[in-house]
Amino acid sequence: MVVRNGESIMDENRFSDYVLVIMKNLNLVIILYIAAVMSYSLMGYVQENTALEFLTKIHRTTIEAWKIPVMATCLFCSCLLLMQIRNASGYVLILKVGMEISLSYMISYLLGFSYTGIVLLILADTMKYFPKSKSKISFAVVVCMFYLVIDYDFLSSRFNIISFDTYLVYFRSDMRAALLGVKNIFNSMNTFLFLVYMILLVWIQRSEKERILCLNEQLNKTNEELQQANVQLEEYAKEAEKMVETRERNRLAREIHDTLGHALTGIITGIEACTALMDVAPEATKEQLKAIAEVARQGITDVRRSVKALRPDALEKYNLEKALLQTIEEMRTATNAKIDYQCTTDLNCFNADEEDVIYRIVQECITNSIRHGKAKHIQIGIEREYNLMKICIRDNGIGCKDVKRGFGLHHMEERLNMLHGSLKYDGSDGFMVEAQIPIRWGKGEKIND
Amino acid sequence: MIIIIRNKKTFILSVLSIFLLLCTWLIYSDFYKKIFTGKDETITIGIFSDSYWEVQNGYSYRILEDAIAIFEEQHPGVKVEYVSGILKDDYSEWLSEQFLLGNAPDIFFVLSEDFNDFAEIGVCKDLTSFVTQDEEFHKEEFYSSAYEYGKYRGAQYALPYECAPKLMFVNKTILDKEGLNMPDDKWTWDEFYEICRKVTKDTDGNGTIDQFGVVGYTWKEAFESNGILLFDEKGTECYFADDNVETALLFMEKIGKLNSGYTINSRDFDLGNVVFQPMSFSRYRAYKPYPLSVKKYSGFEWECMPMPAGPNGDNISTLDTLLLAMNGNTDREEYAWEFMKLLTCNTQIQSEIFDYSEGVSVLKAVTESDQTLQSLIESSGDTGSLNLPILSEAVENAVVAPRFRNYDHAISEVDKAVNDILAGSSNFSMEQIIWNRNINKYLSNSR
Repeated sequence: MVVRNGESIMDENRFSDYVLVIMKNLNLVIILYIAAVMSYSLMGYVQENTALEFLTKIHRTTIEAWKIPVMATCLFCSCLLLMQIRNASGYVLILKVGMEISLSYMISYLLGFSYTGIVLLILADTMKYFPKSKSKISFAVVVCMFYLVIDYDFLSSRFNIISFDTYLVYFRSDMRAALLGVKNIFNSMNTFLFLVYMILLVWIQRSEKERILCLNEQLNKTNEELQQANVQLEEYAKEAEKMVETRERNRLAREIHDTLGHALTGIITGIEACTALMDVAPEATKEQLKAIAEVARQGITDVRRSVKALRPDALEKYNLEKALLQTIEEMRTATNAKIDYQCTTDLNCFNADEEDVIYRIVQECITNSIRHGKAKHIQIGIEREYNLMKICIRDNGIGCKDVKRGFGLHHMEERLNMLHGSLKYDGSDGFMVEAQIPIRWGKGEKIND
Repeated sequence: MIIIIRNKKTFILSVLSIFLLLCTWLIYSDFYKKIFTGKDETITIGIFSDSYWEVQNGYSYRILEDAIAIFEEQHPGVKVEYVSGILKDDYSEWLSEQFLLGNAPDIFFVLSEDFNDFAEIGVCKDLTSFVTQDEEFHKEEFYSSAYEYGKYRGAQYALPYECAPKLMFVNKTILDKEGLNMPDDKWTWDEFYEICRKVTKDTDGNGTIDQFGVVGYTWKEAFESNGILLFDEKGTECYFADDNVETALLFMEKIGKLNSGYTINSRDFDLGNVVFQPMSFSRYRAYKPYPLSVKKYSGFEWECMPMPAGPNGDNISTLDTLLLAMNGNTDREEYAWEFMKLLTCNTQIQSEIFDYSEGVSVLKAVTESDQTLQSLIESSGDTGSLNLPILSEAVENAVVAPRFRNYDHAISEVDKAVNDILAGSSNFSMEQIIWNRNINKYLSNSR
């Protein structure tokens, strides 16, 4: 398929506009011509003292001679001005076209319905700017019906209309034939221009359709490519994630190797030495065991340090409760949001990993509420229910009807999963997050009891 | 509207377009004249310079001038104008031209022969609403026949101004010579025929008939006086096959046979060789005064009387009426109507018709008044000849034929039929049926 570019369509559009302009000018000429002939004939009847004969023949009054061309020109100009309105739609469009048709009726009436081609002009003009819809066809049908109805031969059988021929009777027979001939030529020209215009319009529409079809195809192709690229990108992302995991694992391995490995190696070697020495020199063995204990202690210190290296800063410095209060206070001062904090249970019974999770959840939720929810009021509640720790964070922000799990929620869930906990969230009225963590049997339990 | 018209360009275009439409309307409705000339309180009248009754009397604008004087006194600031110098013969054409040029007067006189055409064309205003709504206007004051004259298809398009009935002129000298009495006012066709038969003879003995009974008595007069209505109101049907028509036709044939082939014309009456001739009353008024009668009807005494009645009719004839109509496009209706009333209903103006014109006033009160009798007697110099109640009766009972488009053509069709039937020798009623069918066909085609 040959793709037509936009420029050639622009050319055709311009050409069809030229045809329309010619048509408008031609219509003005025709109207003036017919009006002039009618006026001349009326003046002639008066000048030759045959007015009575003319009046009794036509059986009705006429408009004064000079008024016909003046009024016809005024009405046609009014019609042309209306045609310049191009951005009409809906009722305005119907009003506009209705006005144009009534104007064309008035002009035709003035000219004794001897010329009705203005209706074609209106049809041509409107077809171009009419919005593409089914009503376009019904509109065209209505206008065509009107065109048929205002024909002289049809109307004259019902109403007393003075035909163009009656005016022509004033002239000599050869003149009469010439005048009628000119009128017919004008009429044919108008019809011909109308046909040319309509063919052009159809042509433009067809090429436009072709162009759109072609563009559509291109778009589909590009879309497919894009989809492929997307899939690849996703794969890359997965790989990258894996790589980070591996690196982290390696780091942990190294850490374990450097601290635990070192300590354990020292301990094993020391114990082996003790085994050998125990019977021979119990005192030395004792010394040795002391040294081993020192190494183990050192090892444990190293492990703690390593773990601490992965912990949040606040938790590093304070205990969980203080850390939470600290964070909340910081957020309060930084954002001016009202944050209520209510804790009904003791928070000193958790292991570091649990503290970590609790701290991270609270921190993440406040950040989310402020960043995404634009919340002004956040309520944080922490309570214990039997062996379940419940953390509930609620805000009055814009919420989110259709919650898409982002990285934050995903991470929270992952962390909770590690502690066998669960996460619930709801974005219908503000945003609400509820996390449940089972409390381990151990120190905390005993203390609380 | 502000919401609908979104941008400036659309707004300007619509306003300009509506402005042009308004201009067109101003031109069409003649409203522009008011804008340019301001408040114009002038009404114009279309009138012809010579007498409607084709008699020169030198008083052509006298009555109108008097009426204008009264009107301008009653309505200060309003002027009445007319174009003078238009002859009656040119008047219809002049009026038509004014209509085509858009300069037609607000009120205009209408010749009876133009009334149909003007009413049909639509240049006359339908006065029905004025007639029914104006409480000062009483149509009963008019002779009903004259008033009916201004009706076209049931609507009042004109008011009568002056009228004249058709009367039978009688050469009294011949009657005296032949030893015959003047027939009385209720005379019939039989008496009419009897007189005609007696006077038709060769007086000088040269072998040719030189004294005749009647001239100018056509089928129209015969039909009118025998109660024949030729067409229905709308001009859709012709009643030519009527029995009364046959009676009239037979009478026409009988009268025609008396002349035994001689053709006579109105000059024979002028020369005093014919006893009867139907003529308009206006001619009696014009030629009865002494100096004029010498010029035209010299050498014999003459008188006028009603038409002879047919077996089924009455002593009636047609009425010729000069009408007054209002321009359908006038924008000074109220003043125009007031002036029309002044011309037609004012007794002072109407009585001037007997002074300065040859017609008869259309108001019963004026025509039957003593003052009128006095002025008629003064002008004719004859005391006993004129019987005013008879004149009044002749006007009141006059026939007003229904008028419709192409009425004149229909009448000429009937004329053709009558001439054809009288010239032929076959059965009248058969011919009548055939012609009736033809005329009806013509009527349905012409609509």
